[in-house]
Amino acid sequence: MAVLNRMDWYDLARSTNWTPTYVSEDELFPPELSGNFGLPQNAWEQYDEPYKQTYPEYVKVQREKDAGAYSVKAALERSRIFENADPGWKSVMKAHYGAIARGEYAAASAEARMMRFSKAPGMRNMSTLGCLDEIRHGQMQLYFPHEHVSKDRQMDWAFKAYDTNDWAMIAARHFFDDIMMTRDAISVSIMLTFSFETGFTNMQFLGLAADAAEAGDHTFANLISSIQTDESRHAQIGGPALKVLIENGRKEEAQKRVDIAVWGAWKLFSVLTGPIMDYYTPLEHRKQSFKEFMEEWIVAQFERALTDMGLELPWYWDIFLKDLSQTHHGMHLGSYFWRPTIWWNPAAGVTPDERAWLEEKYPGWNDTWGECWDVFIDNVVEGRMDKAYPETLPYVCNMCQLPILGTPGKGWNVKDYPLEYNGRLYHFGSEVDRWVFEQEPERYAGHLSIVDRFLAGMIQPMDLGGALQYMNIAPGECGDDAHNYAWAEVYRALRAAKKAG
Amino acid sequence: MALFPLTSNFEGDFVLQLVAVDSENTMDEVAAAAAVHSVGRRVRARPDCIMRVRRQGAEDFLPRTMKVSESGLKPTETVEIIWETARH
Repeated sequence: MAVLNRMDWYDLARSTNWTPTYVSEDELFPPELSGNFGLPQNAWEQYDEPYKQTYPEYVKVQREKDAGAYSVKAALERSRIFENADPGWKSVMKAHYGAIARGEYAAASAEARMMRFSKAPGMRNMSTLGCLDEIRHGQMQLYFPHEHVSKDRQMDWAFKAYDTNDWAMIAARHFFDDIMMTRDAISVSIMLTFSFETGFTNMQFLGLAADAAEAGDHTFANLISSIQTDESRHAQIGGPALKVLIENGRKEEAQKRVDIAVWGAWKLFSVLTGPIMDYYTPLEHRKQSFKEFMEEWIVAQFERALTDMGLELPWYWDIFLKDLSQTHHGMHLGSYFWRPTIWWNPAAGVTPDERAWLEEKYPGWNDTWGECWDVFIDNVVEGRMDKAYPETLPYVCNMCQLPILGTPGKGWNVKDYPLEYNGRLYHFGSEVDRWVFEQEPERYAGHLSIVDRFLAGMIQPMDLGGALQYMNIAPGECGDDAHNYAWAEVYRALRAAKKAG
Repeated sequence: MALFPLTSNFEGDFVLQLVAVDSENTMDEVAAAAAVHSVGRRVRARPDCIMRVRRQGAEDFLPRTMKVSESGLKPTETVEIIWETARH
């Protein structure tokens, strides 16, 4: 029997809207879950997904993808990559799995919201496949690290991280809860798929895949490249929704959602990917600096995507472009200095050679970030390790939940962006974080940052031990320097030579 | 006498930090409490300078002997700790 070509029947088969008679339209598609934006159902029926795939096609392709990734893993299981990898690279894996794996399951439920509640039939189709994608990503990114759990307790955080009160996870949850767990189907499509997945997952999954291959970790490289092929398909769910909104006079609402989500994604990746690319990845394996990668993959891509769509660049674009050279250096210094509170061992990445690379990529690094590191290095070299750890909490932003920071040293520009709302003093890390809060204060006002919780007496005893317990960091899981400070030997030798000379 | 949290923005450092002081502490004591978490950790000591406290964005420093309780500072408000060349 002849089989029709997909395009001969797809449009008809996806026309699954009907006029409900037993319940009202609002009961079938509750506005707070569907996000109708005041548009009639037939407006949403104009939604036309650019990437059309049927279920049988999907299963066939996904099976091949799984077979590829799993067979590479099986083939390399005895390769002792984990045992022989640079400790900085292991930290990359630990940070990635902890921050991402369980979030994929959360993303599956966000896709499921679009699948059930979107009034656009094409979106329901695409997000059905997107939901299956996210379940696959969750499963793979728990299964792959599992073989290492018996070798290293920190690997257990691939599963554990998402349920903890670790500050980094509070930040990740705050962002993902905001853009995908507590939004209507249309907003999820704009904020999760268009704003977050289109660009930012490219960076984590493609940028990191290149670094992984360079580092010889082909299992990880294959895994995350395989994931990215799904992302690049389901990231296209949001575009046609934006088109519907813009064509029907809802550009302002659409733009605001893009602006909020892009900023939050940027902040999260500045702490997750920035340190990995510019500090943890061994110098000889670095392909591009974080800034170069951002400019090529995020800035150029977003500028094109937004313009094509008829949207404006976010109002804070100039601030964002300036921060590309700054924020992640602070996120690295912060996560490194407060290293007992993370579940991986950060690599310092500040040997003279690495500093020369940083100075080349970020002119002025030595006069700014380098000045803070100089003091730290003196302490390590001279054995003053009590000064090489923190004794208080960094103040974190009430929006992104990450430390409020700026450029230190000769370029000192650190600033708080405070706001008093209903008698409570909130602190923000930037004008943009504060702007996000002001768009819908009641949405965010009740949340307590890790510092707010500390001040409220929720962390007991009020010291590092109490904080680690609150963050669910068990003994043996605390982060410390990835190379056990071996990198400081070169400074020790330089000083000895200087003294002798 | 009451525990009073402030946010320290220390000149030359890269991050805001929580500093617990007492409402009866003077501004010099506030600066010293803030310095514990920055100087010698990520900021070099400057023996030629003293440390002054001002509200974020203000040009004038708060008097060195002024107490927190007299300053009008709110709990968790951000203060800048600035190096000032000591007069000889």
